[in-house]
Amino acid sequence: MVPQDYGFFIDPQRCIGCRSCVGACAECGTHRGRSMIHLDEMDRFDSPQTVPTVCMHCEDPICAQVCPSDAIKRSEDGVVHAAQKPRCIGCQNCELSCPFGVPIVFSGLEQMLKCDLCYDRTSEGHKPMCATVCPSQALLFVRKDEVANLRHNKPLRDFLIGSVRVKTKNAIMVPDPDTPLHLDAALLIDGGL
Amino acid sequence: MRVFDELDLEARPLLGAALATLALCGAVALGSRGGRWLDPALLGYLLATLFACFGVTYRYFSWIERPATRMYFRHTLRTLFSPRAIKALPRMALLTLDQIVLQRFIEKRSIKRWGAHALLAWGCLLGFAVTIPLVFGWVRFTSEGLDATRYQAWVLGFPAGSFPLDSFIAFCSFHVLDLAAVMVIAGCVLSLIRRKQDEGDSATQRFDLDLLPLVLLIAVSMTGLLLTASEKWLQGRNFATLSFLHELTVILLLLGLPFGKLFHVVQRPAQVGVTIYKAEGEREGRLPCKGCGAPFIRANQRRDLEALWAVLELDGARHSASVHHLDLCPRCKRRLVAKAQGERLHGAFDPFATVPVYAEPISDPISMKS
Repeated sequence: MVPQDYGFFIDPQRCIGCRSCVGACAECGTHRGRSMIHLDEMDRFDSPQTVPTVCMHCEDPICAQVCPSDAIKRSEDGVVHAAQKPRCIGCQNCELSCPFGVPIVFSGLEQMLKCDLCYDRTSEGHKPMCATVCPSQALLFVRKDEVANLRHNKPLRDFLIGSVRVKTKNAIMVPDPDTPLHLDAALLIDGGL
Repeated sequence: MRVFDELDLEARPLLGAALATLALCGAVALGSRGGRWLDPALLGYLLATLFACFGVTYRYFSWIERPATRMYFRHTLRTLFSPRAIKALPRMALLTLDQIVLQRFIEKRSIKRWGAHALLAWGCLLGFAVTIPLVFGWVRFTSEGLDATRYQAWVLGFPAGSFPLDSFIAFCSFHVLDLAAVMVIAGCVLSLIRRKQDEGDSATQRFDLDLLPLVLLIAVSMTGLLLTASEKWLQGRNFATLSFLHELTVILLLLGLPFGKLFHVVQRPAQVGVTIYKAEGEREGRLPCKGCGAPFIRANQRRDLEALWAVLELDGARHSASVHHLDLCPRCKRRLVAKAQGERLHGAFDPFATVPVYAEPISDPISMKS
């Protein structure tokens, strides 16, 4: 059971692209040898900005809703686990439907793997691997009451895609957490939609 | 109907399960010549098998009623009942050999996992292949007339050859279940060792779902082997007690079949249908991401997922009339979160306007414990 007074706070703006998290993630026992963290370049031509992405652990995970083999489960502590190995049939519904682009389906293995908050560590009272090694604390795993002393920004766990609300266990840091973060594709597409 | 409401049973799966169980009862009645060839000593097994049939079929029908499962199930049925079936069937046969019989995808996950699973799966299937026809009265052995040195095999009530008791065929017939038991025990022990050594499995496994089936399978196999040992080397000592224990463990296993991990045996063939679906999608081509332009999603899956999202009441996840959230590739979805956060911080994303990064000291960056 992951302690409920701890939270994962993500601040992509702090990422320095050192890839420590990528290396550390592969050490996690639940997917040993495979890194489940995504480190993307924001816009390689214009900027050195990199973006680390871990699973946000949705309250009502879309990946689980679209899974035909009912292989994705959310435990009582709010952690959404990788697809159960006996059940996953590698259809990629989860990979294509996740609002945050997190799961990875390994074809050949017919297996979806994803960040599971380093369950082997966090369930025993340790930090996730990525948060342990992140030098700029773009990935921060601390007690929830501690984060106010460490950041000007505040944790937000509420996202809006069109009219669909997605609430998560992990938080992203913003100045005004009372309004959901609107994920609007117009931000990505030059010239708007 | 109030009973169904209280039990929270769904009508269609209930009907499907009832029909399947009735069909099985009919097959047992026919195969055992109206029950004449049923072995009274195996009646407990028969009742547990009928319950397992009802439970597994109920859960199967409930499972394929889930919107996401229905999407693939219908596609597979459409393929099988269309002219494409002639082309698809040989491919399905090859996929069945690769994915269901040889289970090579498990080998790619881990050779240790595959070894344990192969022993377990083939041991169980061998065991069921021998015991189910005996329990249903479809196969039976008797002495050949008054000759006590020969055994007569009967299949569906018809004579199917005889053999001497000291022949190789007799040895194989009498000990095939011992072989299955040894395979199952070896597979279970290897699985337990792997589970003990694997930090990930140790953290996520549950006793009722992951360990209990292995413990039950070991109990079934051990009591089965002890029956042989009692008969061979102990002059039948404690045979009745062992026989009761064996029956008890098998019945517990069968009763748990619809509820536990072993249900994945009937789910796994869906993988063949999904592989065919993906191959058809590849032929149709991949659609480009509306964020970066890179092709990423198969056209058939894009269509079906949009319909599925509508059923799941997620249809509002649109960025405009022409851009659905499904039109963005996973990488663009990840970038979008950072863009949105950047806009919230600075009004518009500007990578050079980031706030200075200070590594604030935290009491212990390694462990929360100390």
